Amino acid sequence: MSQARVVETDVLVIGGGIAGCFAAIKAKEQGLDVTIVDKAYAGKSGSSIAAGGWWMVFNPEWGHDHDASMEDVTVNGEYLNNRDWDEIILKEAWATYRDLVSWGVEFPVASDKIEGYWDTYFTGPRAARAPNLPWGIVPLRHRKTSPVLRTQAEKVGIKIVDRIMITDLLKQDGKMVGAVGFSYDTGDLHVFKAKATITSGGNNCFRSPGFHTACLTGDAEAMAYRAGAEITGKEFPDTHFNLANYPAWKSNAELYAAYMYFTDAEGESINGTVGFDLFMEFAVHAGRGPVIWDLDAAAPGDVEAMREYVRKRANPVEAERIGLDYTRGGKYPCIGGSAAGVSSQQTSGVWVVDTKCATSLPGLYAAGDSCGARVCGASHRGPGFGVTGAAVTGKRAGLGAAEYALQAEKPVTDEKELARLKELIYAPAQRRSGFSPRWVTQVLQNTMIPYFILYIKHGERLQAALTIVEFMRDHLVPKLMAKDPHELRLTHETANMVLNAEMILRASLFRTESRGLHYREDYPRRDDPTWLAWTKVKKKQGRMNILKEPVPREWWPDLFKPYQQRYPERFPRE
Amino acid sequence: MSIERIDPELCTGCGICVNSCPMDVIRMDEKGEKAIIKYPEECMCCDYCELDCPVDAIYVSPEKYAPLMVSWC
Repeated sequence: MSQARVVETDVLVIGGGIAGCFAAIKAKEQGLDVTIVDKAYAGKSGSSIAAGGWWMVFNPEWGHDHDASMEDVTVNGEYLNNRDWDEIILKEAWATYRDLVSWGVEFPVASDKIEGYWDTYFTGPRAARAPNLPWGIVPLRHRKTSPVLRTQAEKVGIKIVDRIMITDLLKQDGKMVGAVGFSYDTGDLHVFKAKATITSGGNNCFRSPGFHTACLTGDAEAMAYRAGAEITGKEFPDTHFNLANYPAWKSNAELYAAYMYFTDAEGESINGTVGFDLFMEFAVHAGRGPVIWDLDAAAPGDVEAMREYVRKRANPVEAERIGLDYTRGGKYPCIGGSAAGVSSQQTSGVWVVDTKCATSLPGLYAAGDSCGARVCGASHRGPGFGVTGAAVTGKRAGLGAAEYALQAEKPVTDEKELARLKELIYAPAQRRSGFSPRWVTQVLQNTMIPYFILYIKHGERLQAALTIVEFMRDHLVPKLMAKDPHELRLTHETANMVLNAEMILRASLFRTESRGLHYREDYPRRDDPTWLAWTKVKKKQGRMNILKEPVPREWWPDLFKPYQQRYPERFPRE
Repeated sequence: MSIERIDPELCTGCGICVNSCPMDVIRMDEKGEKAIIKYPEECMCCDYCELDCPVDAIYVSPEKYAPLMVSWC
């Protein structure tokens, strides 16, 4: 396992999902040598495997309203959205849609007839609470998009290296010059020397079995943090939900798309807003769980809408396997926060300092879910912003990294630093005593995933969890053992998840208010004078330091407006 | 228990499922002829192997499964 393979390239893209492929293709168009390295198989891994969402289209000629869109995402994001980025995504969404069509992605609607207002897909009382979206959305065919991106990347001559666990970024004289990792097939060391590096490795989750994103272990944020970058937005948890009886059920398109009607265990409606929110967790915390998806209440028109939606999405439907037939009704227990450990998409991630996706580290760019562009602020807005945001930040990162690489010198790597990183990579394989990564992961899951830690927060409980996570960081992570290269991957993933847990807990403790997806029982109100600000964690003298970055004054809400009008959504006990 | 079987009679050894699995559950056998379930503990029930298999040799069970937590190891 000691043989080193060295790849030299102009632009290195770590993570080949939607963001990474867009980034690589755009960098390649600038005439550069581009390499994608992926932990699994570029085009199939990461969040892209689950990207059966909606592609945003924004075209004023079709009545899409710019000001209403900005207002929508701002109120939903509770004023922590980066409006520069929202403007960019609205403006550039159409070009990414045309890119996909030109590369061969087939959408289930004709390109000249973009339907996709919210009420086309959603029925029932949950939808009744929301007006039409001011932008357009096109349903994406599940799993059909990113393989096309891979084919396009190969066609234009991008090198793809699959099945490599990248562990750390390479730094030389204050500049980022590539990354190191290993093959979990052969155990071989891989060194990637690059003029510019893009991290598009997705989000973090705690290997929770409630969503098909268990491959995302916060590697991008962890390696950027270790290199000295700033990580933002970790206090805002993602709240995608799923069925409790078959948590990894992929056909949850029906659940998201159509008849969004939920009750508590007593049968009382508990529908929240249409953005992602904590309504399921609030019900469970009040002792009224489990939450039920109540299909018995669906009218024939709702069932028809669901059928139509499923047909358009062409999702693989294995509903029969779990005894679910949505045309016949039924009551199904749900779990909130099924992708436990994921933070709000493109709000959390590596802090970007400009709209070219540059980070605070020269030569490092961030895209997709690992890009802390703060697109949706304190609460993920849902349809359109996730995948389209990944494509737009990907494109921008590709162009930004290419511009940087064009004037950068040939990367030089320090042999001593390489030797140090190599030792860190293989240390778990050398240990004869210690802890298995699967066990440490399980301890972490049991510490972080309970709803009263990750979603319904309180300072005392966060502190208790932090005490355990610090112990894991200091006593378990340094003693992780690996029997083979597969387990070596697990040890590095586990260490990254523990690091992400610490970021989540510290950011959550630091924000002494409630806002969007961050709810503190001990601070149940928004605190505008103090907290119209973003959090950033950053390594300082080996310890995790936390900083506050104020939201620009011109993006603040009118503080003379009554609180209830600034914030239409209520927290319990606020 | 998540991924349940890869039928060796049906498997043609094409290797598609190995790349479909983001969790490294499936590997080729020692001779490189058939796909085998090497690390079932990591299966996340995403079903991509089953959906991508051109000869329907794979079955992923919807049953929930978690390894027993033993005191320390």
